[in-house]
Amino acid sequence: MNLRAQVEADLAATIEAPGDFGEPFTLTDPLGFSSASQLYGMTADIGETIDADTGQAVAGRQATLTARISTLLAAGYSGLPEHIADGTGLPWLVSFAGPATPSQTYKVKGSRPDRAMGVVKMTLEFWEAAP
Amino acid sequence: MPTVLPSLIDKQDGFEIMRDQIALILFQNQAAQQVLATAGGKDPALWKLRVYTERSNAWEEFLNEPTAVPLDKSPIVNVWYESGVFDGAKSGPVDRQAHAGAFNVDVYGWGVATELPGGGHSPGDMEAAFTAHRGARLVRNILMAGENTYMQFRAADNPKPAPAVWSRSISAITAFQPEQSNVAAHQVVGVRLTLRVEFNEYAPQVEAADTLDFVAVDINRTSDGLLVAEADFDLTI
Repeated sequence: MNLRAQVEADLAATIEAPGDFGEPFTLTDPLGFSSASQLYGMTADIGETIDADTGQAVAGRQATLTARISTLLAAGYSGLPEHIADGTGLPWLVSFAGPATPSQTYKVKGSRPDRAMGVVKMTLEFWEAAP
Repeated sequence: MPTVLPSLIDKQDGFEIMRDQIALILFQNQAAQQVLATAGGKDPALWKLRVYTERSNAWEEFLNEPTAVPLDKSPIVNVWYESGVFDGAKSGPVDRQAHAGAFNVDVYGWGVATELPGGGHSPGDMEAAFTAHRGARLVRNILMAGENTYMQFRAADNPKPAPAVWSRSISAITAFQPEQSNVAAHQVVGVRLTLRVEFNEYAPQVEAADTLDFVAVDINRTSDGLLVAEADFDLTI
């Protein structure tokens, strides 16, 4: 096994290990498909961001999800999560809970796949379901 | 030794009064607009503004809004004083300065990506921008309405020393996004309206002792038509 394949295989023990960095999440594609098996990845929802221009801490909120690409494809998703600009359909949706907060649903507003490493990092925004 | 002012400076300056007046005009008018909207069978929430003064981060409450029930998506307005230029040619050397103040009226719109009951979804970034634009529309129309030409400071019953207002105008409207690198979970768009108001500023004046006396002058006409004046003066030599 070459080094890149080893790094990709190690993701199972890093971002997907339950109880370690792996946190359970639900991913729903625009057609409403969700994996039948529980997915694990590295989730984050932090309340402070850094102004890229000044380097100063400014109030903000940043939510992200990092998932293993091979796991998503094996689960049956037709493609990688991405931002959907077209409002006629639904976007990619992610749900996860924090250690002390209930599950919240987010819309995928951007994704940065690292196909060399085998991970995709999604930036998330707030989502409101229909009443 | 220089002399000191004998009386306490216990008043607001014109720019402080103007800042608060801008916020008060916006607050009262948005409430009145909601009443009118309700009477017209329209959703009053579309005319609601949350007005603040001199807040550095008034939109921060948007960060935790998604957990609030019900969600308040009305725009947040922050009025703050940016700068002032004093025109010496229009000012007096003793008591009055012509102050051209620049007041920023920042309108923040917040949007959440929302699933639509009929299918599809409303993008949060677009909703944030449209909400900010709607708020800016209300602010501009309110401040530039005819009855606010002099910021309602020329009414005879206004308490003094209210600043006499020369003029007011919106000099610029700029849209901006207070987020970084497009990674924020919240969608917030801001629109800044720069309102320039020209008004008078006053300063403490020397209160001199009475140095003038009333003088009574009798004006008479002589028999040949000559006008003569007669007055008595008390002189201390």
